[in-house]
Amino acid sequence: MSNVTLYSISYDLSHAVVFAVGSLAYGSWRAAIDSNAVVTTIAVLVFAVILLAASMLNTIVLIWYERKLLGRFMDRRGAMHVGYAGLLQNFADGLKLFRKHTFAPREADDLGFYFGPTAYMVSSMLIFGILPISSGWNSGALPLSLLLALVIFSFAPLFIFVSAWSSNNKYSLMGGMRSAAQMIAYEVPLLLAVVAVVLVAGSFDLSTIVYEQQNYWFWGPLVVALVVFVAAMLAEMERIPFDLPEAEAELVEGWNTEYGGMLFAFFMLADYLRALVGSILVVLLFLGGWTLPTWVPSAATSFPLAGIFWFMVKTYIVFGLFVWVRASLPRVRTDQLLRVGWNRMIPLALLSVFLAALLVSARCLPVFGCVPSLGG
Amino acid sequence: MTEELTATEKPSDNPVLYVARPMATAARQFAKSLLRPSTIVYPYERLEDPKFREQVQVASGKPIGVGAVWDNYRGVHALNIATCISCNLCAFSCPDLCIEMVTVPGGDPKHAKKCPEIDYGKCSYCGFCSDACPEGCLTMTTRYELSTPKRSEMVYSPQKLYEVYRTKLPMNPIRLERPANEDSILLDPPLCIGCNACARDCPTQCITMLEIPKPTAKPGEKLPKRIWKEPVVNDSDCVRCGTCVSVCPKECLFWGSRR
Amino acid sequence: MSDIWINMGPQHPMTHGLWNLRVRIEGELIRDVDPEVGYLHRGIEKISEDRHYNEVVTLMDRTCYVAGLSWEHLYMLAAEQALHIDPPERAQYLRVLCDEFQRIGSHIMWYAAFVQDIGLMSPFLYGMRDRDLVLDLFQSYTGARMTYEYMRVGGVRNDLPPGFTHQARKVLDWLTDRFHEYDQLCLGSTIFHKRCDNLGVLSGKDAIAYGVTGPMLRSAGVKRDLRKDRPYAVYDRLEFDVAVADGADVTGRYLVRMEELRQSVRILRQVLDWLDHHPGPVLADRVPRWLGAPYAPVGQEGYLLKRRFPTGVGFSSVEEPHGEAQAYVVNQGGEHPYRVKFRSPVYSNVSAARQYLVGYHVADIPPIMGSVDVCVGEVDR
Repeated sequence: MSNVTLYSISYDLSHAVVFAVGSLAYGSWRAAIDSNAVVTTIAVLVFAVILLAASMLNTIVLIWYERKLLGRFMDRRGAMHVGYAGLLQNFADGLKLFRKHTFAPREADDLGFYFGPTAYMVSSMLIFGILPISSGWNSGALPLSLLLALVIFSFAPLFIFVSAWSSNNKYSLMGGMRSAAQMIAYEVPLLLAVVAVVLVAGSFDLSTIVYEQQNYWFWGPLVVALVVFVAAMLAEMERIPFDLPEAEAELVEGWNTEYGGMLFAFFMLADYLRALVGSILVVLLFLGGWTLPTWVPSAATSFPLAGIFWFMVKTYIVFGLFVWVRASLPRVRTDQLLRVGWNRMIPLALLSVFLAALLVSARCLPVFGCVPSLGG
Repeated sequence: MTEELTATEKPSDNPVLYVARPMATAARQFAKSLLRPSTIVYPYERLEDPKFREQVQVASGKPIGVGAVWDNYRGVHALNIATCISCNLCAFSCPDLCIEMVTVPGGDPKHAKKCPEIDYGKCSYCGFCSDACPEGCLTMTTRYELSTPKRSEMVYSPQKLYEVYRTKLPMNPIRLERPANEDSILLDPPLCIGCNACARDCPTQCITMLEIPKPTAKPGEKLPKRIWKEPVVNDSDCVRCGTCVSVCPKECLFWGSRR
Repeated sequence: MSDIWINMGPQHPMTHGLWNLRVRIEGELIRDVDPEVGYLHRGIEKISEDRHYNEVVTLMDRTCYVAGLSWEHLYMLAAEQALHIDPPERAQYLRVLCDEFQRIGSHIMWYAAFVQDIGLMSPFLYGMRDRDLVLDLFQSYTGARMTYEYMRVGGVRNDLPPGFTHQARKVLDWLTDRFHEYDQLCLGSTIFHKRCDNLGVLSGKDAIAYGVTGPMLRSAGVKRDLRKDRPYAVYDRLEFDVAVADGADVTGRYLVRMEELRQSVRILRQVLDWLDHHPGPVLADRVPRWLGAPYAPVGQEGYLLKRRFPTGVGFSSVEEPHGEAQAYVVNQGGEHPYRVKFRSPVYSNVSAARQYLVGYHVADIPPIMGSVDVCVGEVDR
């Protein structure tokens, strides 16, 4: 599975289909159908469908995982009736939301009201086209994939603000304001923490960053950057303790107060998509992606799809940490959050960049390769 | 004002430690509940099942439930129609007026047998009715599942309450003792006309009409037109239901202390 | 953003009940507040005038749905005074048992709701779980988990079931461990201190001026507890300390309530020891049978007025989990009380909202109002 990528699979698939259809046709029809353009178009579509299905499935499983985990943290069981251990509960919930009547408040601005959640959802999904899940996924697709992923990731405050403003509700507006302020404040330390990673890895390509972690995972040398990145990611994902935009105690549901039915489901799904992206980015940047430490027996890495398997295991463990934080910490206040963001996080992030530069220029990085517990 | 407040904020000693402490507590709970969460998988496990209670207590070390916890529970009523004496006390003592006395078959022709019909849409499960029941035939059971799609099904007829009785659920064992200085039924003899209404309607038949001597009329005096009998209440059999007081046409029976 | 009014309530996650807090905000700052209550008014005082003395108990449980037994006790003290009845000693100890278990239940319920307000998810469920043990105990001797209907004029309905005191001690041991855990989750957390220190400050002077009582008053350093200052039932025979905190802020109220939980455990241990060794009647034997259910006089209503029973008035005040509750009962010789009046502590505590809310952030409203421990059933009655 060295050179097999997801795109190549879908290309082969579409080629086979087109060839089969084309062999039934005659003359000029055959030429038209069997052209490269048609094959490529269908390949892209297949690629997109696979990604869509995989990411949605993952998101729903993620919600289930959070519910179960949170349940145990709270000394209860979580969803358990629909399907085995409640696995189908979220599908049932989604179906219920899907069947609900979608309506907008009379005073709401319809364009923004419907555009906001849709764009939020779509932009969150776009990122999945860029993230490499294993070595045979979409390697080398983009030299600047990390940057692109973060750019798309930071679209969200705009869409949230649009939907909050056009809901024409005071709670929504306050939630939207908070959301915008918070996301913009934490964008900076997030990117600075990424800069530290890029300095060490020497590339903006996510696959290359993972390959650079063959010998040592980056969380060892870049532990400060990891802390900053995780904290900023928590704020970007709007999870407790940084979930003030939808602080249900005072703002009812924040910027999605007026949304119901499928539009609310869009927000919900997109939130968890972003949580998934956040966990994946932590794994990619700091925890060695799909690689495993060398002292792990090779049997653990040689079965088919081992890369994807270990990658998902890591992702879910990282997300479990987020759930743990959610289960044990209270929510902070807006001004405190912003003060922490600008006064503490940015200096820390700058420090992490400085440390990374120091490590790279002093050429002491290989030291970390000798410590087995760091992985690689 | 806000500026002042932020200026006086207490500095936290050690932020890392102080975030770690609640997280460690949550993690400890997580580890505990992995084995057995405190929740009860309700339709399958029931707290009123003593075996289950013991099992939970042993498994989790939690002091769940007392031995007799469910016996005292005030749930749906059980009515033993056979021993009901139609005394009306339950209906009278109900603060929510949810008990109505309805006729059931089985009474003698003179004396229609009436038993309580309870509207659980109104009932507040206070237990005053079962406390008031002199015969112990209306008791409260441990049954608590009442949900129904129809409002009319919330009204339990005496027959339905009897079915609850026949399921032999644990019943509330508490019987109140009657107060020592209880009032009794007293008679105001000059007013009585001896009409027998009280003795006829008494649910315990503790009133007997005794003949009294017909006084000799003084000259010029006209004796009242009446039957020369007077009710005598057997105080130990009387359940103090007050039926006689309410049926007395001349208001000559009343509540009072014998002393 | 210019000033806007927002209505927090009557359907809002912050309110914990049915009331409305109108807030004028400028950005994230509170400029003015205006609490509106009355959405849950059921006319309990008026209904009481049409019920037998004992039947009012069913209303008392519904006055405050987390501290029903405290309110039953309050009413019974006033009614017994009005009717010239003395409950037996064991009944008084049983009532203190009810009171203190109810205080534990109510404070744990408060804790659960309060941590939910500041965004803590799991302690909410820990609180609900531990309160259930108290409810189990209530169920074992009163027969219900929420609407107890346990006290009667002249005592209580029934005695404890066998094995109760042993089980109650086990529950107290279990709860004492949990209180430590609660502190770890709140006081041990930096974010909790960031959220709650110096928040919702109501000075002792203001608190007294507004008639604020209970943990809110004690958090301002005022040592006022009716159990000590004007002992009712048998509190003068029990050893305990009054929980006081300084700071008059949300953290102070938290500390006061946590200390009260521990003091309640201390009281309960003494009460359980006493109950083990002093069996006796639990209902006064000289209770007139016309007091209502279960011995309702049937027949001529109003006959009692003819019989000229002693009249009287009763006034009682009780340290309820939320503060000082007071009751006034007028007995004019009939089967029903002539007039019943209650004073709810939360009503006063809420009406001082402008004093402790203005100037803080919108995000501070839930913790501050949470620390007040609003019970709307009690406010509106």
